[in-house]
Amino acid sequence: MRWPPVLRLVVRNFASNLDPLTVIIRFGQPAVTIIVLGTMFSSIISSSVTGGASYTAFLVPGMVAFQMITGGVVSGNLFWLDRRWSMVEQVFSGPFLRSEYLGGLVLTSLLFSLVGVGIMMLVGVPFIGLPPLSPLGIAAVLLTVALGSVFFSGLLITLGSRLRSANAYFSIQSFLQLFVIFLSTVYYPVTSKTPRVLAVVFYGNPLTYAANTIRDAFAGSLGGGDLVGLGILAALAAGAFSIAAWAFRTMDLGPIQ
Amino acid sequence: MRPDEVVLETRDLGFAYAPDRFAIRHLSVSLRRGEVLGLLGRNGAGKTTTVRLLTTLLPPTEGTAIVLGQDIRTGGRALRARLGVVLQSESLDFVTVERNLTLYAFLWGVPREVAKGRAEEMIELFELEAARHRKPWALSGGERRRFQVARELMHDMEILFLDEPTVGLDAIARRRILRYLKDRARGGLSIVFTTHILHEADLLCDRIAILHLGSLLALDTAEGLKEKFGGAREVSIGFRGPVSGALRLELVGELARRHATLLEAPETAGSAGSRVDFRAEQAEELLPWISQWAHGHGLGIERMAVEEATLESAFLGMIGGTDEDGNGGEKAEVRPPGLLPPGSTGGLT
Repeated sequence: MRWPPVLRLVVRNFASNLDPLTVIIRFGQPAVTIIVLGTMFSSIISSSVTGGASYTAFLVPGMVAFQMITGGVVSGNLFWLDRRWSMVEQVFSGPFLRSEYLGGLVLTSLLFSLVGVGIMMLVGVPFIGLPPLSPLGIAAVLLTVALGSVFFSGLLITLGSRLRSANAYFSIQSFLQLFVIFLSTVYYPVTSKTPRVLAVVFYGNPLTYAANTIRDAFAGSLGGGDLVGLGILAALAAGAFSIAAWAFRTMDLGPIQ
Repeated sequence: MRPDEVVLETRDLGFAYAPDRFAIRHLSVSLRRGEVLGLLGRNGAGKTTTVRLLTTLLPPTEGTAIVLGQDIRTGGRALRARLGVVLQSESLDFVTVERNLTLYAFLWGVPREVAKGRAEEMIELFELEAARHRKPWALSGGERRRFQVARELMHDMEILFLDEPTVGLDAIARRRILRYLKDRARGGLSIVFTTHILHEADLLCDRIAILHLGSLLALDTAEGLKEKFGGAREVSIGFRGPVSGALRLELVGELARRHATLLEAPETAGSAGSRVDFRAEQAEELLPWISQWAHGHGLGIERMAVEEATLESAFLGMIGGTDEDGNGGEKAEVRPPGLLPPGSTGGLT
């Protein structure tokens, strides 16, 4: 059976670019964060700060949300390496469309994120027990991570299609990751004591909406605010994907050094 | 599928990076089934741009090109599915050579069993056995290039575009690849081949297009190009015994009247010796006259060597360049029958 072009590209993305060490580090880092940071901070952070739950219970949904960045970074780096090693041009000299290559990247990112969600759940459950996730809650978690993953892969693909320097790409990517994670509610909540400027920045960050929605889904308390958050995330994902598609259409296919 | 079927035809094809900056312009060439077309030219002549245009990687800014019956502007995926392209730049996936081959075949939708068989064939053909389990960064430059050509041959195609596929290869590997390509062409595969190595083009290509600064200078067989643009060639005449200074001077004077240029200092032309070397546009036309002249003076000719017109000399003649010595080419010895007794005429063989 001949697979559809997008799926062939996804298989190739996984097979050719994801070595075991990369995979272990990508998933291992947030898993270790849950174990170490969760254990250490649970004993010193009052549960009143984290809405009554232990810090680990607060952190696990944050790390689940974090998977959208993991997926985005994977596809962004894949694309960058494909450009650097002329594989973008080589793939396009074959029976593929630009949209299929882009679709393959986004689907790779999506699958990676969803695998990450599963792993974070597996790591988190021994510490926080099985969260009371309803079918709607599961759908909300998956949709949130999927939208976030599209947003971040769109952002990094745009970056990768415009930058010609590896140093510039990887520096900006690292900075962006750090900036987005620390200025979100992944590690800490926005409270009445949060400085106003920081609170505004936090709520301008899609990862905040993702972390909050997933946290509510885990707590079984999804509400209207989460729907708004999902809407914002969907709009951001659509915007980032459109920009990536445009950047991708107009980029020079030739190799970069 | 007819053997003489035209599979590629361009008319005034051109590509401009900016309104007044053309990479290639007014390119009109054709390719028949089973034919090997060489694209020759200096760096920046437009060879790679032409390959990228014809494989739909770059949209033309003027002219048309019909490849396998489809316009390159609209052929897209359906057209590309019938082409093979070995790009000039290195393109690699970060898995072993063997996995790279089968993965690429998978991308092209080649059934797994067929892919496995072909991978073995390619590994053997391109001498990649030792590199089979190595990843790209552990390969030498030559191995990478061989691998890249091998990888492209993992899928079926009707036209194969090769953009300088033999760069960095040793003579044996190069010859092996050229022989294989020639065999494939005999089997009906049409090939567009760009190279800097003129000898390669001479060996492989049925016709050669010479590109210079984005324009097509000439399109002909290698022999046709040599004939038309071969230019002046060196001739070396060896006499059986010493020739007196006076006779040498007479010969040199006669040759000069026939527009030949002596390849020694003028002051030594009058010295006795058994050899005369000169350069002439129509070298072969002078040989019968020299034989007659020698016969008339009772001299025997031991050997006549005429530099063969090479593709390189034709190429240099066409683009107006010369090598450091002002010429280029290999010498072919012409030994007239019976060691050229006086009165015999030397013929080029």
